[in-house]
Amino acid sequence: MLFRPKTFSSLAAGLMALLPFSVGAAEITHELGVTDVPDAPQRVIALEFSFVDALAALGVSPVGIADDKKRQRIVAEYTAVIGDDWQSVGTRKTPSLEVIASLQPDLIIADKTRHSGVYDTLSQIAPTIVLDSLGGTYPDAIEQTLVIGDALGLKDKAAERVAEHEAVMAELIAKIGNESHGVNAQFGVTNATGLWLHSPLSYNGSLLEKFGFSSSMTPQEGEVYETNYVPTTLEQLSVVDPDLLILGKYADPAFTDGWAGEALYDSLKAVEASNVYTVNAHKWSRMRGLLAAEMTANDVLEILTEFSGKQ
Amino acid sequence: MNARHRLPFQAGAISVLAFGVCILSVYGSLMTGGRSDIRLSDLFAASTNGAVILDIRLPRTLVAACLGVNLGLSGLILQALTRNPLSSPSILGINQGAALGLTIGVIFPSVGALVGLMPLAAIGALVAGFMTFSIAGVFTGRIVSLRLILGGVAVGAFASAMVRFSFTLEDDLARQVLRWTLGNISDVRWHHVQSLFVWSLGGTVATLAMAHRLNLMALGEAQASGLGADPRLTLMIGALMSACLTGTAVFVAGPIAFAGLVVPHMCRFCLGPDHRILVPATALGGACLLMAADAASKWLTSPVELPVGVVVAMIGAPYFLYQTLFSKGAI
Repeated sequence: MLFRPKTFSSLAAGLMALLPFSVGAAEITHELGVTDVPDAPQRVIALEFSFVDALAALGVSPVGIADDKKRQRIVAEYTAVIGDDWQSVGTRKTPSLEVIASLQPDLIIADKTRHSGVYDTLSQIAPTIVLDSLGGTYPDAIEQTLVIGDALGLKDKAAERVAEHEAVMAELIAKIGNESHGVNAQFGVTNATGLWLHSPLSYNGSLLEKFGFSSSMTPQEGEVYETNYVPTTLEQLSVVDPDLLILGKYADPAFTDGWAGEALYDSLKAVEASNVYTVNAHKWSRMRGLLAAEMTANDVLEILTEFSGKQ
Repeated sequence: MNARHRLPFQAGAISVLAFGVCILSVYGSLMTGGRSDIRLSDLFAASTNGAVILDIRLPRTLVAACLGVNLGLSGLILQALTRNPLSSPSILGINQGAALGLTIGVIFPSVGALVGLMPLAAIGALVAGFMTFSIAGVFTGRIVSLRLILGGVAVGAFASAMVRFSFTLEDDLARQVLRWTLGNISDVRWHHVQSLFVWSLGGTVATLAMAHRLNLMALGEAQASGLGADPRLTLMIGALMSACLTGTAVFVAGPIAFAGLVVPHMCRFCLGPDHRILVPATALGGACLLMAADAASKWLTSPVELPVGVVVAMIGAPYFLYQTLFSKGAI
């Protein structure tokens, strides 16, 4: 670890106190390399909601969260476990490095897409591990929970919790049975100005696949907002034409609401058969992880019950 | 005026070329999009394909055409008013001012709801234009060319810095603003055409009515007032029109650079400096450029669309560079 007393002089004392912990540290392999993490870090900062999900799954309370400066974005399901004794470190996109440093963390969990640029700076503040949350799939999110468990010195507990989660999911999938087979389902988020479909490469896409749905989106190459979260016009949506359209709406009226009444929109399979369902955009789109997937699964179960009833 | 200016092409050749380009850009813009099964004959078919072309592609093509008209004319007016070939909505900071007006409306929804986003864009354009013109010394009676361009660059830089600041805000807000600032018309419908078309048509008629005044401005302010056209009045009406044309274009599509700069140049290069001919030519040329850019934006990186503003810059910037490097005294 590198300390720059000039830049972080005020922190030097605090960080020195943490040094003994780095003796016998665990080596954690992550997206941007290998980081020595002290045994059982106590002051953890999570820069994405899925990392909060992992902490909640493992019963660890963070000291700082990039909550987009809106505390309610850390939902009750999380705060029930991690409590309210954490500070906001700003937005996920541009978290405040000063606030992060002032919290004297001993582990920072950062996102590959959002925080690779500040990885060096974060690493100077505290051991930092970088995981692909925004660009990752559902299996990736599970894998990341295991990595975070490892970093927290809770390897066995994480494995146990993941096994528990998989049992819950297996039960839900058993309930779904083969109702989802051959059904083309598509999730997308819409705000006031556009629609973004979550492709099979995205977290939600892969989760729907796990539930047995299929997708007719053609995979794209490029960066996250081309491959995973694909901006989609009505004309492009009419090519995907899913049987089941699940929308998370960030605005009211949402952009897609403006399409109602247009001939092309009304001719979509999902619209014709009234199979457009609205879900909580925040829980589906921004949250990823074990707990989030279980919440999503319950929504899917409800949607599918209604969908099957119409067939 | 025409007699003294040697045109590089015959009038007949230009008409044929203009007609061909126009037809090609309309066709290109109509025949590209998210679906590949659309034919021109679907325009009259009462089917889903017919709906695609009528509800989605036709309004988009018309919006592109109107944007081209607005931006081209705005640039033409500014170049005549300031007697500076570099003048254009983006170089004088007017585009960026309009974008800032819009961004304020998006970030503070209460302001946006109170004033309306389109007026906010026009107000932003006006304020930016006013600031640039004041820096250039319009209100002391004389425009200093260098100060005009530098003033525009400063005002534009300030406005776009403020717009960019919004990128650091929340994801959702940032994405909305980003979509605007790139120049995007991927989801326009007939109501956008309605709001733009009035301005494009009115703008063309009004600019045509002003063509003589613009010609006089080219002689210099002293001569213009000697011939009975008060340059201050021309300046005021022209600036106001330019701001409105730019503001409405930015409201629908975001700040599209280079269209306002390049199209009047291209037309002047082919047709000479008479504004009575330049006004309709610029309107047509702008419409063609934007429709062609719209076609390219849908086709180049298909199925993901490029923002049309990016394509215009890709076409406009090299042409402008070519003009700058090889023209003899025109710029």
